[in-house]
Amino acid sequence: MRPPDRSIRLAVTGLGVVCAIGRNQHEVWSSILASRDGISSLSHFPGESFPTTLAAEVAGDPYEQAGVTRSAAKRMSRTDLLAIAAAREALAQAGGAESLPLDGMIVSSGTSTGGLLEGEGYFFTHRRSGVLRSPASAVLQQPTSGPSDAVASALGIGGGVVSNATACASAGAAIGVAADLIRSGQAVAALAGGSDALCRLTYSGFNVLQAVDPERCTPFGASRQGITLGEGAGYLVIERLDDALARGATILAEISGYGASCDAHHPTAPAEDGRGAAAAMRAALEDGRLTISEVDYINAHGTGTLLNDSAETRAIESISGGSIPVSSSKSFFGHTLGAAGGIEAVVTVLALMNGIAPPTLRLDQAADDCTLDYVPNTPRALAMSGALSNTFGFGGSNVSLLFRRYGGTIGD
Amino acid sequence: MSRFSSGATEGRLEIERVAITGVGVISPGAIGAEAFGQLLRSGEPAVKAIERFDTGGLKAATAGLLTEFKPREFIAVAKMRRMNMLSRIAMGAARLALDDSRFAERGYGRSDVGVAVGTMFGPVQTSLDYMKEYVERGAALAPPQLFAESVANAPGSHLAIEHGFEGFNITFTQRESSFLAALMYAASQIVKGTLPAALAVGVDELSEMTYGVLDRIGALAHPSSSGPEEMRPFDRSRNGMTVGEGGVCLTLEKPGAAAAWCRISGFGMSRDTTASLSDWGSGSAAVRRAMETAIDDAGLTAADIDAVFASANGSVKADRLEGRALVELFGERLPPVVAAKAYFGEYAGASGLHVAAAALALKEQLLPVTPGFSQMDEAIAFQPNLELRQLPLRHLLVNSVSAGGGVVVAVLSRSAE
Repeated sequence: MRPPDRSIRLAVTGLGVVCAIGRNQHEVWSSILASRDGISSLSHFPGESFPTTLAAEVAGDPYEQAGVTRSAAKRMSRTDLLAIAAAREALAQAGGAESLPLDGMIVSSGTSTGGLLEGEGYFFTHRRSGVLRSPASAVLQQPTSGPSDAVASALGIGGGVVSNATACASAGAAIGVAADLIRSGQAVAALAGGSDALCRLTYSGFNVLQAVDPERCTPFGASRQGITLGEGAGYLVIERLDDALARGATILAEISGYGASCDAHHPTAPAEDGRGAAAAMRAALEDGRLTISEVDYINAHGTGTLLNDSAETRAIESISGGSIPVSSSKSFFGHTLGAAGGIEAVVTVLALMNGIAPPTLRLDQAADDCTLDYVPNTPRALAMSGALSNTFGFGGSNVSLLFRRYGGTIGD
Repeated sequence: MSRFSSGATEGRLEIERVAITGVGVISPGAIGAEAFGQLLRSGEPAVKAIERFDTGGLKAATAGLLTEFKPREFIAVAKMRRMNMLSRIAMGAARLALDDSRFAERGYGRSDVGVAVGTMFGPVQTSLDYMKEYVERGAALAPPQLFAESVANAPGSHLAIEHGFEGFNITFTQRESSFLAALMYAASQIVKGTLPAALAVGVDELSEMTYGVLDRIGALAHPSSSGPEEMRPFDRSRNGMTVGEGGVCLTLEKPGAAAAWCRISGFGMSRDTTASLSDWGSGSAAVRRAMETAIDDAGLTAADIDAVFASANGSVKADRLEGRALVELFGERLPPVVAAKAYFGEYAGASGLHVAAAALALKEQLLPVTPGFSQMDEAIAFQPNLELRQLPLRHLLVNSVSAGGGVVVAVLSRSAE
């Protein structure tokens, strides 16, 4: 079998994103520049009673943006539709079906819950009315392969589909998996990212774990009490740099490498010393053949939980000494779980392209155990050549993606 | 079309192999690789009537069930309490594989070993259990332990914690291709040089809800005028799949690290664009392309393939699709085809048990029969292997053709060790 060839340079040629602060990359970047978050009262589950009341929801019905028919949408979950909307934007920016080899292109998606929202609907109907009156279609929408299958189906992609459900590291893993499939010749190009819709199980579950902040989350802050849950999708178009240049595509950035690791510590809590997170970042640097001195910004996992933010701070300190600006985009659009790695990869590429580090909102006072430069409250102009984007998940799974600003020549 | 269109890869990189050094099987009718071999040699499916939930009102009533699996033989009781059944099955399969390969003797460091898990339905039953508590006790009082186990990667997490594996830990969920997708990733990381060893794990459990839904959409084999309820891969009278539960674990290492069952030589993937979101399509060219890519990735030609372990599961469309692709690829030189899922059901080991069956065939140079076949389907135009036979097996093709269109194919080769 042919190994993934680290010497092959990979270009990002398309970005697509849907989340609480925007329904495309331009809206999202405008919200970031304006330091405007998308967190408000939870409206998805009327009549349910949760200890907390905030969420970062995507406004409206995503089916319209997904560009599929009503009848097709009925066979898809909200997570699937969010994925299609983001993937369609990314594909269009990359040149669309006319200029990309869809037969050799793959879809690699990560999701944590897939169509669990629709599965919950089936559960309630089944409980109330019995099996014969419960629509089987609701459960057919549930598999976590849904986003990849739906995106590939909607966009006519024939190179393959691969899905992972690695909790909150899912979309980051999906991007890394796609990069290696291209570098080993299994795929010519990829739509890679992730999607997750809010659902009752996760909203309840993080509450029972006492991991949700009753106020809008304040990652790395002295008053932080946990996450704010969000939803959305983010996808990248990735292809070989030489292929992209040959077809005249605009290169948005390079994805230089990724690293994956596991804490092997606890089912839900990170290792306090951040060793797993640090290992993932080191592996990304090694994969991309860069040194930490070439990284100018880190888009942190930065959930707002006491344990994560402290452990991630330790991890970043251990690899960098603590001088690199770090921020948490979750302060804008909440923790989008399995989609986080995709949405935050889009934000990281936008940051590289624009030379602006997104801020961490509501960070009036950093916690004593959070000792880095977190770019508080307002965006900062920053000359960047390299950036890391971190996502960590339940089970101690860690993924770090390494992006590089594109210099314009193949020999750069 | 060559997948290596840019040219830089072609002919430059050495084609490498990955050794399968240990096999752990938690199968319907067989715990452990030795018992699994006996099951396959018996020619009789390990499918039973379902007793754990009521199948009244359903057309189907059988499945490949784990009735002999005792988690306490593999997991300390105190730890077991924190695991759902999915995690327990994965832990059992991994324990067996690690013992089989004498993995501990290599002295790998904590960061030297990664884990890739494949699962189809994942923690559906745990999610249902959680929602039941959610309704009965309230959204704020459901058990946190159930929530922690409701993520699909909980089995991989438990494996990492138990054995101290700090390499990658990713859970793949690509329907019937879940295990092969996990295997492809794990093997790729070894040939890439990310780490020297990995576990590829496949796991699934039967849940009442998914069984009922599959029955209602007509996906399951059921009694008919052609005969009793039975999974009949490639047979003219087939009318659906039988589902199964179970786990499989393969320990993967660099060739030469230990005695090997066989080697992984190549992979291919594609997608049938004629498939709907939850069914198989008719695009045999896509299935053929994945097989060709895998053979090419292995540095072989179709003439080098001595047998095929098919994805066939008794579904009318799926078997026709794969059958046509096999005929298109091999023509009159079609090697023996085994549809091993008939022994334990679709999704057992997240459709990875037939990969273990292929590894066993290479090790023992013995090809099992395909149960359930009696009449050739003219639309497929071949009959699967119907005779237990010893024959020289050098390279096997192992297919997974998924509802929704995804295809992943592997080439396994006889070990040189």
